[in-house]
Parts: sequence; structure tokens; C-alpha cells
Amino acid sequence: LISKRKPQLLPAGCSHVNAYKVDNWRPNLRVIYQCFVWSGSAETRRRKAKSCICHMCGAHLNRLHSCLYCVFFGCFTKKHIHEHAKNKRHNLAIDLLYGGIYCFVCQDYIYDKDMEQIAKEEQRKAWKLQGVGEKYSTWEPTKRELDLLRHNPKRRKMTTNCTIGLRGLINLGNTCFMNCIVQALTHTPLLRDFFLSDRHKCEMQSNSCLVCEMSQLFQEFYSGHRSPHIPFRLLHLVWTHARHLAGYEQQDAHEFLIAALDVLHRHCKGDTTNDNGKKANNPNHCNCIIDQIFTGGLQSDVTCQVCHGVSTTIDPFWDISLDLPGSSTPFWPLSPGGDGGTVNGESHLSGATTLTDCLRRFTRPEHLGSSAKIKCGGCHSYQESTKQLTMKKLPIVACFHLKRFEHSAKLRRKITTYVSFPLELDMTPFMASRWASTNYLPPGLYVLVRYALFAVVNHQGTLESGHYTSFIRQHKDQWFKCDDAIITKASIKDVLDSEGYLLFYHKQFLEYE
Amino acid sequence: MNKDSQMRAAINQKLIEMGERERLKELLRAKLVECGWKDQMKAQCKDVIREKGLEHVTVEDLVVEITPKGRALVPDSVKKELLQRIRAFLAQHSTL
Repeated sequence: LISKRKPQLLPAGCSHVNAYKVDNWRPNLRVIYQCFVWSGSAETRRRKAKSCICHMCGAHLNRLHSCLYCVFFGCFTKKHIHEHAKNKRHNLAIDLLYGGIYCFVCQDYIYDKDMEQIAKEEQRKAWKLQGVGEKYSTWEPTKRELDLLRHNPKRRKMTTNCTIGLRGLINLGNTCFMNCIVQALTHTPLLRDFFLSDRHKCEMQSNSCLVCEMSQLFQEFYSGHRSPHIPFRLLHLVWTHARHLAGYEQQDAHEFLIAALDVLHRHCKGDTTNDNGKKANNPNHCNCIIDQIFTGGLQSDVTCQVCHGVSTTIDPFWDISLDLPGSSTPFWPLSPGGDGGTVNGESHLSGATTLTDCLRRFTRPEHLGSSAKIKCGGCHSYQESTKQLTMKKLPIVACFHLKRFEHSAKLRRKITTYVSFPLELDMTPFMASRWASTNYLPPGLYVLVRYALFAVVNHQGTLESGHYTSFIRQHKDQWFKCDDAIITKASIKDVLDSEGYLLFYHKQFLEYE
Repeated sequence: MNKDSQMRAAINQKLIEMGERERLKELLRAKLVECGWKDQMKAQCKDVIREKGLEHVTVEDLVVEITPKGRALVPDSVKKELLQRIRAFLAQHSTL
């Protein structure tokens, strides 16, 4: 019996499943999903591995399908399952790869609401068991969301080269240090998604919530207005919550970044809940958006030179401050541009220092010397030791701070040494030693630790009088220079040739927990 | 079944048993999204649907049209990475 499919625009089932949806069909279908489609437990996996082959030709590829009415597996490509359907008049089969239900009468896959529901649940169950994590599923609007969309018909189309999100910022008197950080934050994809999907639920009584102000800022940036925005409310809030930054003199952009993240983190209390639904009161174990995006863990291993016992501590960090050659801290045992420096494809203009060099220096073991003996738990006495810093947990957004401003007792100066930095950064060499094995990283697989540059803050001038500008990235490779109110298109070369003060990198592959 | 397909079946069984097949599928899925392959395929599917007409197109139409293009468009780097990962897995479970 071949019937012409009725034109349907919504995913719908077909009448032929009604013969199947009788008696105990639900648990039966579940068993099929659990055993042969998405096998969660070791036992079902073993069974699946052994039994899922075509009953006619023995192959396991060729889009294997299982009959829904009896125990028969057949290739779809070779039409073995079709033969079975015709001979036995069993009209329904399930695709063992994707779980889709095929109706031989309609000659197409059908989407029965009840069966889809079971499929979704079984898939989620199996993946949870296997530790694969939640699968990303496309957004399906709720009834309320559909109403909202109908009542607000204005739409903005995002094309691959639209520049929405770009907006200049008026300088309110040496506030370029703030403007740069705002540009970097408004172009942090996860932060943008958080605010544009309205995820902040404010618990502060007064009007002084910085997170609310950030939310407003994102609205301004993505409004489509081309005129520069005047961030006077933001400035006022910053002065209120970070007194040390108040005043009209030039401040340090890095200090502003840390202060801003700190205040945002504190004001995110309303959005922070742990699994029990209680508010997380612990400032160190917060799960707010700031912590989710920016907080990493820095591991410090102190090794006693006598008993070789290792004492490990892990501290949270929002940025990595890197010393530069030419500073007064004794430094470079590595010659700039030395061995294998092209790990990250950085340009090595004869002898130029690279970001990788700085990171290597940051994570190399350091002898603490006889004047800085540490009390060793194993030896029960003060011994000489070596200390090494490595990354235990990498944040989603890694900010590198090149320490260009020297404020020692003797001198105040700016270090203008050129440091070359890459568009893509591989952090694997700087991870804590046991990281690779506990995270099952087979040799050659770097996907989990690759980072992409998306913002650069630069400082021009001297310590006394200088100006901050920033480069930010839109889409995959469109760069723009932000100089307060003036936004101009920039080339990748412009970005990579710049001096670099704050470098913002975004993780490229996100694992869903 | 010849020796080649016997080996294939044995490897496939091992991958399923250890749950590695699902993990590999996820890795592949992520990589194909990352490099834009998924978006390319989506666009191709839309073309086929437009061509055949929304009311008449079947999943089979799409499979027949898209599969060869899809296979050809997978970047070499992705293939390489998957292969490396499978090799590493087999090296670890060398009873095969």
C-alpha cells in the first residue's frame, strides 16, 4: 500500500503509528532506545555492540534500522529492512543511529509527538550515564515567548558582516581607560549572550547595581544606534563602588578591569544559586556569570629540595600578569626568540619576545633561594625549595596583562618592548602536569585548550600622559579599532603589530557540563 | 565477510562497548560545527528543499543529495584528528 503523504508543515506523526501505539508500547519503545540506539550502561553497550548487525548481510554500517514490531535488524541502504517490512507487513522501523522513526507506508520519517518525547528522554538519560553531557538543542519558543514575538514585530537580521554591537564611547575626561575595557567586555560573546537573554535578576534595592548598568550598556551597544554612547551612569557607578578609581585623572585600564569584574561579581548575587536552590554565600565558590567566564585556577607547586615533597595550592585568578624583558625584575634565562618559539605561529621578527616566551617564563620552576626558605611539612624544618606556577583550570576568557608600567621605589617608567602575540593560542604547554591524564587528552589533541584572540587594549604615550585604545574582533576575522568615540576598520596586521597591554583570548571549544 | 570488514566490525564493537563511539561522535559533532561544516550542510539542505518543494521532499531525498557533498566537505584536519584519537584509543586497548 503506497499512499501519498499529506502536505504538512508542522512536524507530525502519521496515522500508521496508531496500530503500534497500543498496550505496552511505551516501555517497549524505551527498551529499544536503551538497548540499541542510545546505550547508556556498560551492559546495554555490550549487547548493542554484539547484536546490532544486519540479519541479512551482517554489516553494521549502511544505516541499520530495527523493526518496531519484531526483533529484526536490517540495512536501510541495501533495502534489507524494506524487504522485511514488505514481507511481514511491519510498517515501522527505527534508525539505530539517530533514533528516527520510519514509516514504510508514508515512505518517510515521521515525528509522532509521544514517540519524540520518549526519544528525547532516553537520549538525555544515556548521555548522562556516559558523561557526555547535555546536547545543544535548538531553541523552541514557549507560548509566552511566541506572544512576545507577535506583539513586537520589529526584527533585526544578523548577517555575516553586519556591525551591530559596535559603538563609540565619549571620553568624559581621561576615561579612555574605562572605554577600552567596556569595548572588550561588550565583545565577550558569552557575556553578551548572558545580558541579551536577560539573565540578570536584580536583588539590589537601590539603583546602584553595576550588573543592571552593564545590561543597559549591552542594550545601548546592540540597539543599532551609530552615535557614540555617553557612559556617564557607568562612570558614576564605578566611582561609587571603586573609590580608588574615582577622579578625573588617568587610571590604569588593568586596574579598572579587575575592579569592574570584582564589583560585577559582587552584584551578581541574585543570579547565583547552587544545586539546592539556595543562594551561594561563599564569595570564593560563586557560580555567577563572571566566575563562569573569567575565573581560572592557578596551581602553585612548592617542591622541597631535600625531601622532594610537593606542597600544592590553587588560587583563583581573573588575569595573568606577565613580566617583560627590560623590567628590573631579573628575568630572562631564555634568549628572546629562542627554541621552538613558533608553537603558536607568532611572528619572530628577529629576536622579538613572544607571548609564549612570557608564559614559559611565568610557568617555569623558580629556585626560591637560601634567603626564602619554606617550612617543609615532610622535613619539619625550613628548607630551600623551588616553586612552579601552572594552570589548573583555564577560564573561558583568559586575560593576559603585560606588565608595562613599572612602579618600583627607584623608578616609574613604561616598558615599550614589543611583544608579539598570536591570533590563536595553545595553552597546553602551560597546564598543570597531571592535567593531561585526568582530562583524557590523547597525544596531538589540543582542541580543549585552544584560545582565540578577540580584544587587545593598547596604551600609547608615557606614564605621565598617555592614551588607551582597543582593537576588538567581530565575527571570525573582522577587527575594529576603538578610539573613544571613533571606530575604524582595522586589519589583522594592525592588531598583531600593536604593542599590546591587555590581551583577551576566548576558549574555542566549549564543553557543556 | 572479508578480513577488512571483520577488523572493522571488531573495532566498532570495542568502541561501542567502551562508550568511546559516543564520545567520538560528540567530538566530531563539535568540530564540524566549529569549522562551519554544519552551516554549509544546512544551506545545502535548504537548497534541496526549495528545489523539491517543501510538501514533497522526503528525508531520503536529502540523504541522497547531501551525503556525497557532506563527505567531500569534511576538512582534512578534522579527519586527521578523529583518526589520531581512534589510534590512541586502540593503542590503549591493544587486545585487538
